[in-house]
Amino acid sequence: MKKQKRPIGKFLMGLTLLFFYLPIVFMIVFSFNDSKSLTHFSGFSTMWYTKMFQSRDMMESLYTTIIIAVLATAISTFVGTITAIGLSKSRRLVRRLVLQLNDFPIMNPEIVTAIGLMLLFITLRIERGFVTMLLAHIAFCIPYVILSVMPRLRALDPNLADAAMDLGATPWQSLFMVLVPQLMPGIVSGALIAFTMSFDDFIISYFVTGGGVKNLSIMVYTMSKRVNPSINAMSTLVVVLITLVLVAINLEPLLRARREKKK
Amino acid sequence: MEPKKLIQFRNIVKEFDGQIVLKGVNLDICENEFVTLLGPSGCGKTTLLRILGGFLEATEGQVIFDGQDIAGVPPYKRELNTVFQKYALFPHMNVYQNIAFGLKIKKMSKDVIQQKVMKMLKLIGMEGYEDKNVTLLSGGQQQRVAIARALVNEPKVLLLDEPLGALDLKLRKEMQYELKRIQQEVGITFVYVTHDQEEALTMSDKIVVMKDGEICQVGSPLEIYNEPANRYVANFIGESNILPAVMVEDYKVRFDDITFDCVDHGFRPNEKVDVVIRPEDIDIVEPDKGKLTGEVLSVLFKGVHYEVIVETVPGTTVTVKMHVIGNRDVTSQNGKEKISANDFYVDIEDLDQLDEKEIVARSDAQAWNPETDEYISISHIDCKLEKKLGSYPVTFSTSSGTSVQRTIFVVNQPFVRNEKANEAVMAFNFFKAVDEIKESVALDTDLKTWASAQAWKLTDENESVDISVDYDFDDENIQEGVYNITFSTTGREFKIHTTDYVEEGREVGLTFFPEDIHVMEKMVF
Amino acid sequence: MKKFSQLAIPYIVWAALMILLPLLLIILYAFTKPGNEFIQFSLTLEHFAKFFTDPDFLLVLWRSLVIAFKTTLICGVLGYPVAYFIARSNDRVRNILILAITLPMWINMLVRTYAWIGLLSDGGILQKLLGLLGFGEPKLLYTEGAVLLGMVYNFIPFMILQINTSLCKLDHSLLEASADLGADRFQTFWRVVFPLSLPGVVSGITLVFLPAVSSFFIPKLLGGGQYFLIGNVIENQFITVGEWNFGSAISLIMVMVMMLSMYAVRRLDRSGGREEDRL
Repeated sequence: MKKQKRPIGKFLMGLTLLFFYLPIVFMIVFSFNDSKSLTHFSGFSTMWYTKMFQSRDMMESLYTTIIIAVLATAISTFVGTITAIGLSKSRRLVRRLVLQLNDFPIMNPEIVTAIGLMLLFITLRIERGFVTMLLAHIAFCIPYVILSVMPRLRALDPNLADAAMDLGATPWQSLFMVLVPQLMPGIVSGALIAFTMSFDDFIISYFVTGGGVKNLSIMVYTMSKRVNPSINAMSTLVVVLITLVLVAINLEPLLRARREKKK
Repeated sequence: MEPKKLIQFRNIVKEFDGQIVLKGVNLDICENEFVTLLGPSGCGKTTLLRILGGFLEATEGQVIFDGQDIAGVPPYKRELNTVFQKYALFPHMNVYQNIAFGLKIKKMSKDVIQQKVMKMLKLIGMEGYEDKNVTLLSGGQQQRVAIARALVNEPKVLLLDEPLGALDLKLRKEMQYELKRIQQEVGITFVYVTHDQEEALTMSDKIVVMKDGEICQVGSPLEIYNEPANRYVANFIGESNILPAVMVEDYKVRFDDITFDCVDHGFRPNEKVDVVIRPEDIDIVEPDKGKLTGEVLSVLFKGVHYEVIVETVPGTTVTVKMHVIGNRDVTSQNGKEKISANDFYVDIEDLDQLDEKEIVARSDAQAWNPETDEYISISHIDCKLEKKLGSYPVTFSTSSGTSVQRTIFVVNQPFVRNEKANEAVMAFNFFKAVDEIKESVALDTDLKTWASAQAWKLTDENESVDISVDYDFDDENIQEGVYNITFSTTGREFKIHTTDYVEEGREVGLTFFPEDIHVMEKMVF
Repeated sequence: MKKFSQLAIPYIVWAALMILLPLLLIILYAFTKPGNEFIQFSLTLEHFAKFFTDPDFLLVLWRSLVIAFKTTLICGVLGYPVAYFIARSNDRVRNILILAITLPMWINMLVRTYAWIGLLSDGGILQKLLGLLGFGEPKLLYTEGAVLLGMVYNFIPFMILQINTSLCKLDHSLLEASADLGADRFQTFWRVVFPLSLPGVVSGITLVFLPAVSSFFIPKLLGGGQYFLIGNVIENQFITVGEWNFGSAISLIMVMVMMLSMYAVRRLDRSGGREEDRL
């Protein structure tokens, strides 16, 4: 097709990107405001960051968020990978049923998953707090890991594991020396998705937590009624952290390509 | 009466990102012609078609359609239609809607559309299919719908971009006749792109053979087949025997040291040329009646005819001696290690490349544990070689001291030169144990390796020539002794299509008429 | 390989416990009286009766559907041209633009919604801008408009990406075929491109409409409590009031309504596709 200038399209595209990024930029800018105002930028200061770091509540929620994200990512990546491999060797009916079930947390409105888990913990009389939040996070992270490992598994030669065992590897050896390395890109992207999902989660955490355990999102939600620029500072922190992870996701294939070139 | 020129390509150049895909193409296409652009993928044939269709713009040059330059005219205003490679049927419309698309765009009345579409369905033999989902049709049916969708607009020219590529062989043949029939029935110009020479020969009025963005030859199928302009065209169209020759004078051409009468003229005296003789133009006769004689190498039945390969000039051969010896493993004193190796010959010129690795490989030196069959590495090689002819002892030993001594013969190995065939062959005598021959899983390949047999072009040492192996021992029951092994290259072979059976190995004569020799200019690369 | 298939067993147990059981519990709670033990419960339809006889609840449900509908409509109308622009760009530009649109999606929705509060608040940039343009200085925060804006902001990327995917999947030769048969750009768009991109539009609608209906923090943050949607009702029942049975019933009703509307959209698409261009 012939290249055209497309001024209307460009204008619209620009407007869309402005729409997407304006609030985020605005928030970052005002996190450095030296007054409490959200409308007038009166001068540069890092006082809200100082306040944030001094607030025990905020630091605790940051800590909770990170610990839960790391644990949930590690556990769900391991379980998800193992399960995906298991499913690929299972009977078709089993595989289809499990994958269908696996899709529920992704397809359902989050609030439904959230209240379901809340009811589960209430019914089983598990006191809601850190542990329930972690369990819930693992529960909604595993499906994403499976979802990103499965396609790579499908692209794999189904005889690969058999070939390894034919050459004398034990099942565990063939799993970790042959299958897992082949699946690595899928596993890594699954882990990164799991991390960001857990780090960002609000709705499910909000319903399954208790006993004053809060992550950053819950923190922002409960404090949003009062004007508190520390929230801007904290949100900026969240944005920066997630952007770093995203940069990692997007650089990973590039770096891998370069590494392979070097070989 | 001269037919009217409908399309004229004038010096068309097309560049993609600095790569020149078309290098100044000039071509005229007349009314009602079935023109085929033929060539391998990447020759620029599809690019030329897309420029005509208006989907690409030429970097340079003009496309004149019906007397007018159509450079800036968008596809939807051109009076031609295209049948796309994978048909490009609209998946959200049924057969009827697909065919009616162009007419509806032209805002024709419903009853006219109905009438025209029905007529088209009849032409392609798909009446009753109008409500069918196009994605559920077979490849051949989709193909027909695509043709109908284009033809219903009554274009002056129909462009077809490898339209039969996605079909299986049988269907492809059927569609060839179908397409020719449709073209004759509607009486418009078809411009057809393909890489299949058979398709081109079957359907076209005019074939345009293309290579690397240039036109090699334009002509009727008969002209292209019988008088190919050069080696490339001859090779691409049909099967042929192509050989280098010299045009001695007009009507006299010389190849394989024999001068033949021919009908070609206009070359410089002693100009180097290529000669084509089609396999079906050669007759097999008694040896004394042939213009050439040779031995029948193989006979293959091809359904209608036999394909006979006759070798008129034998290839280059070299025979070497294989010394088969008994197994001479050395066992260590404690019986835990065995070691074996062979004597071998090496050319004095290759002495520089003979490092330890190479010595181990050439002598097949190996050590192993006879109980477990595990290999033991050879840790030490002791040998003093000088760049002089003679024999030199070499000792292989393992780290625990088990050792075996063998001999390296440094020789000045002559090679066989064959100036006429422009090739040389070389091979070495060699020593092998009985077991090594019996255990070989690919003996021909192993023999070539053991003898270091190789063949190459005299004009270019880096261009290797295939060799075959011939021997007359029974490798299953071989005994110690000396055996002859012959390595040979392929000689001058002629491919002949005949309906008469001949026996393999027979001496025959080959004959052909002067007009069957097609002399072509040598191709300049 | 039997050994490997056993690797899936732990997750099958886990999924039954953590995915299936919770969904069953919602249904169970919705149909039982509150305060009962898990072992012995009494079935009832009283929660559903309560919901459907109270005009306030029905109004909230209606309002949720209306605002979700508006959100979807705006996302579609604004998102389509953007998706079209992206799809028609060259590969490099397209990848960059898709990344630019995906990036904010990864950032916490709550944080992104919160960021609007400052922009929309009284005396904020947007109000002043509107004032300069001669629209007076209308109240922006805590209005229906703000909620709508927040929803469009959060959900439009899904619409753009879905439509873009279906546009990119479009075989380029179909556009050439259309031009070849005499259709100009405009005709090609309406007769070929748009109908073939409908599946993307439909999945875009799904991805916007469903979360819009159930959203509860957007109305809370930007609607300031005056703007109550079905998600807020559910949140209230579970978090504040503690009436899990009634809350479960409401969410069940919500899910049913969602499924019905999605069914309707799919039907519409299919028949629409067939009706299109009939003689």
